[in-house]
Amino acid sequence: MIDRIVGTVVFVISVSAFWVARGYEAGFGDPLGPAVFPQMVAALAAILSLGLILRPDPNPKAQSRPALTRQIATLAVLAGYVLLLEPLGFPLSTTLGTACLALLFGAGPAKAGLTGAAVGVSLFVIFDKVLGLPLPFAPALFG
Amino acid sequence: MSYTRSLITGAILATGLTAISAVTASAAECIAPADPGGGWDFTCRTVGRLLTELGLEESTVQVTNMPGGVGAVAFANVAGKRASEGDLLVATSTVGVTQIAQGKYPGGVDVMRWVGMLGTDVGVITVPADSEYETIGDLLDALKADPTSVPVAGSSGAGGWDHIRLLMLADAAGMPGDDYKAIRWVQFDGGSPAVTQMLGGQVGAVSTDLGEIAGFVESGDIKILAALSDEPIPAFPDAPTAKDQGYDVTGYNWRGFYTGGDVSDEDYQAWVDELKSLFDTPEWKEAAEGNGLITVWRGGEEFEAYVADQAKQMEEISRSIGVIQ
Amino acid sequence: MDILTSLIGGFAVAVTPLNLALAVFGCFAGTLIGALPGLGPVNGVAILIPVAFAMKLEPGSALIMLSCIYYGCMYGGRISSIMLNIPGDEPAIMTTLDGYPMARKGQAAKALGISAVASFTGATLATLGLTFFAPLLAKAAIHFGPADYFALYVMAFATIGGVTGVNPFKTLLAAVLGLLLASVGLDPATGTARFTFGSYHLYDGFDPIVAIVGLFAVSEIIMYFESHATSGAGPAKLGRALPRLREVFEGFPAALRGSVIGFVCGVLPGAGASLGAFVSYSTEKQISDKKGTFGTGDPRGIAAPEAGNNAASGGALIPMLTLGVPGSGTTAVMLALLVSLNIQPGPLLFERQPDLVWGLIAALYLANLVLLLLNVPMVGIFTRLLSLPQWLLMPIVVMVSFIGIYSISHSSFDLFVMIGFGLLGYALRKFEISLVPVVLGLLLGADMENNLRRALSISGGDFGVLLQSPIALVIYGFTALMLLFSFGIAMRRRTAPLED
Repeated sequence: MIDRIVGTVVFVISVSAFWVARGYEAGFGDPLGPAVFPQMVAALAAILSLGLILRPDPNPKAQSRPALTRQIATLAVLAGYVLLLEPLGFPLSTTLGTACLALLFGAGPAKAGLTGAAVGVSLFVIFDKVLGLPLPFAPALFG
Repeated sequence: MSYTRSLITGAILATGLTAISAVTASAAECIAPADPGGGWDFTCRTVGRLLTELGLEESTVQVTNMPGGVGAVAFANVAGKRASEGDLLVATSTVGVTQIAQGKYPGGVDVMRWVGMLGTDVGVITVPADSEYETIGDLLDALKADPTSVPVAGSSGAGGWDHIRLLMLADAAGMPGDDYKAIRWVQFDGGSPAVTQMLGGQVGAVSTDLGEIAGFVESGDIKILAALSDEPIPAFPDAPTAKDQGYDVTGYNWRGFYTGGDVSDEDYQAWVDELKSLFDTPEWKEAAEGNGLITVWRGGEEFEAYVADQAKQMEEISRSIGVIQ
Repeated sequence: MDILTSLIGGFAVAVTPLNLALAVFGCFAGTLIGALPGLGPVNGVAILIPVAFAMKLEPGSALIMLSCIYYGCMYGGRISSIMLNIPGDEPAIMTTLDGYPMARKGQAAKALGISAVASFTGATLATLGLTFFAPLLAKAAIHFGPADYFALYVMAFATIGGVTGVNPFKTLLAAVLGLLLASVGLDPATGTARFTFGSYHLYDGFDPIVAIVGLFAVSEIIMYFESHATSGAGPAKLGRALPRLREVFEGFPAALRGSVIGFVCGVLPGAGASLGAFVSYSTEKQISDKKGTFGTGDPRGIAAPEAGNNAASGGALIPMLTLGVPGSGTTAVMLALLVSLNIQPGPLLFERQPDLVWGLIAALYLANLVLLLLNVPMVGIFTRLLSLPQWLLMPIVVMVSFIGIYSISHSSFDLFVMIGFGLLGYALRKFEISLVPVVLGLLLGADMENNLRRALSISGGDFGVLLQSPIALVIYGFTALMLLFSFGIAMRRRTAPLED
C-alpha cells in the first residue's frame, strides 16, 4: 500500500516536471535544447513509478511509530533558527537553537543552556575569528 | 561544580572578546559572487590581500562568497539590503555586464555604482598547432562556406561572452545571421577543458580568454589565430590581432568592482582612489600578470560611462544575434 | 631514473622540520574538516588558503600544508559516514552503505581501521601513478570525448540498481529522482532557467553538500525520535576502542581493485572522486558479493569505495597539474590554490617549476604516511564519540552542519533547502528507498546531461555520434557484461535457498 502511495506521488511529480519542462527552449546554438534531458528523466521516473504502483513490495513490517510532537518541534526549532540567524546574529541564535535541540533530546534545562552557550560561542570563534569566514555577530544590537 | 563555573567564565570571556573585536573592527568587505576558486573569487582575494599588505586598508578585508545565478544573487542582495554600505565592494567582470545586458540580473547597470577596473583578460581564437587554418581569415572562410564544418568550443554557454565574441567575428566577416547561428557551439566548464577537448580532436577551434590557456600557447600545443585586442598582447607579441587581419573586433574581459547604488559620494570616491593607488603598485602588476591579465585602469565616472556603454553595446549584439528577443 | 632523481630532490624540499610540522598540522586539521558534515575538502582547502597566506609561508610550504589538508579531508570524510551515517563529503557517501551497519554492530573501530588502510592504499597507489605516468596518462585522457563521458555515466546508472541491497527498482527510481533534481537551475549550455520558479536562489541548482547534509543529517534527527521511542535501540553498541592489527587488512584485495578503478576514474578529467568511489563499490559488489552480505557491514564494502575515492582524488591531480583541467570541485580549489601561489598548472608545469611539482608529489607521499600514522590512534577518539550522550552529540552535529553551509554561502535560503531535503530524506527512509542513489543522481546528473549535449552539439544533433567512438563502444560492451553477470548472480541467489 505504502509503495502505491509513493508511486502515485512520484508519478504526479514526474508528469508535472515533464509538463513544466516542455516550455524550455533556447533561441539557437544547441541541438538538443534545455528541455529534452529533464523530460527523458521525468518520463523514466513516471514509468518506474507506474511499476511501483502495479507491483508494490509488501509493507515494511516493523514500521516505527512517529513521535509527531517532538518531530514537529524539532523542525520548528530548525526553521526558527534559520529565521533568527540573521536578525539575532550567530552566537545568540545558535545558543538558543542548540539549547532547544538539547532539550528535545532529553537534556535538563541547565545542561541544555550550558551546551547552547558553549556551542554558540565556540563555533563563532572558530568560524569567524580563526577561519575568517564572516558570520553575523549581533545585527540587532549593533546595527 | 568548579568545572561548570570555569566553563561559564570562559564563555563569558570569549563573548566579551568577540564583542569587542566585532565592534571595533568595521572591516571592509569584498563579495565574490561565486564559489571559492573562480575568477571573481580570485579578484576579491588578491585585491583584498594586497590592500591589507600594502597598508591601504587598516584591517583585513573580509572576503564573502555569495554564489548563485552567475552573480545575480549577490547583485539582488546588494541592491535590496546593502545599497548604502560604503565599505563594500563586489567583484565583477565583462561576464557580469553581459548578464545584465541580457536581462538576467534583477536590474540594470544604473542600479549600482561602478568603482573601477584594474586589469583585463583578452579573448583569443585558437586552433591546434597542426591545424590547417593559418589565419583567422582561413577559419572564417571555412565557416562561411559551411557553418557546420568546424565545431567551436568555449567556456560559456550559447549566447555567453565567449560565444558572442566568435559571432562578432563571423558578423565582421560578412556572414548572414542565419548562417552564423548555425555554427556549432560547444560549452565546456572552462577554457582549459575546451582546449583539452580540442587537442583530443573533438572540436576544431576554441574561443575563450587567453589567461587560463596561455600555457598551451607557450608549450606550442595550440596557436592563436586572432587576439581580440587593440594592440598585440604583451606576452605574445607575435600573435596577430583580429584588427590587423581586417576584422574590426575586440573582446576584452575586464576585472573590476561595483558597490551599492546609494553609497555616498565620499565613500565612492574613497574606493576609487584606493583602487587607483593599488593599481599603481608593482605588487598588483605582478599579481595580475601572473594570472594572465593585462593591467588597465578605468575608474570613477570614466568607468561608469564605460560600463553603461558596454552594456548597451552588448544588448544590441545579443539582440542582433537572437540571444534576447 | 630521471623521475627518481627528481623525486628525491622533491623529498629534499619537503622534508624540513617546519614542513613536517606543517604536514602534521595539515593532516590533523584536514581530517577534522573532512569529518565535519557540511564542510568538505572543497571548503576546507578554500578557507585555509588565506590562513596559509596570513602565516606568510613560502609557496612550497604552503603547498605542502594545503595538500595535506586536501588528503586529510579525503581521509576524514569517511569518519562521520561510519560513525553517524552522515557522509562528511560527497565521495564518502558510498562508505555509509557498509560502514554504518558495521558501526551499529559494535565494530566501529574495525571499520575505521579498514577504511584508514584502504584510504592509504588507494592514495599511495594513485601517487605512484602520478609519479611515474602523469604525462603519459594525460595524453591518453585527452582522447576521452563527450560521447565517451556520456557512455561512462550510462554505465554508472545502468549498474546502480544492484548497488543497494533492497528492491533494485526503488534504487533506480531514487537515482532517477536525483537526476531530476540535478536539472534544477541555469542550464549551462544555454542559460535557460529550469524548475527555478523565478527564484534567483535556485539558479545554481541544489548544492550537493546541502542535499547530503539535509538528506542524511537532518532526516537522521527527525528519524531519531521514533526509532528511539519504539525499539529502544539506543546508541550503537560500543566495541573495542582500537581495532586489532589483522582486522584492518580484511578486504585488502578489494582495496587494491578499488584503487585501480578509482585511479582510472580520477585521471579522466570531469569524472572525479564520487564516481570513483561509486564505480569501485558497484564493481566490487558485482564480483564478490556472492553471499549478499554487502550493505550489512561487509569489510569489502568499506575497503573498495574508500580506496576508490582516495585513488580518484590522487588521480584527479594528473589532469589538473598537466592540463590545468580540474576534474572536480576539490581539484578546482587546488587549482585556485596553485594559481594564487603564482604557479600556472598546464603542459609546461613539470618543465618550468620542477622543484614545486616534485615537492608537491613528495608532500603527497608524506601526507599519506602521516595520515595513516595519525589516523590509527585517532580511531580511539572517534569511537568515543559514540559514547557521548545523544542530547550533546545530535545538536552539535546539526549546528556544525548548518553553520558549515551558511559560512560559505551566506544564504538562509540554502538552510531552508537543507531542511526541505531533511523532510525528503525522512520520507524516503520511511518508504525504504535508499538515499545514496538520490545523491549520486544529483552529483553526476549535470555532467551526464552536459556531455550528452556537447556530443550532440558537435554532431549537429545526430545521435549516431554516441556510438561512433570506439571508447564508448567498449564501455557499452562492458556495461552489458556487468548487467548479465549481476543478473546471473541474482538468479543463482534466488534459486539457492530452495536447494538448502
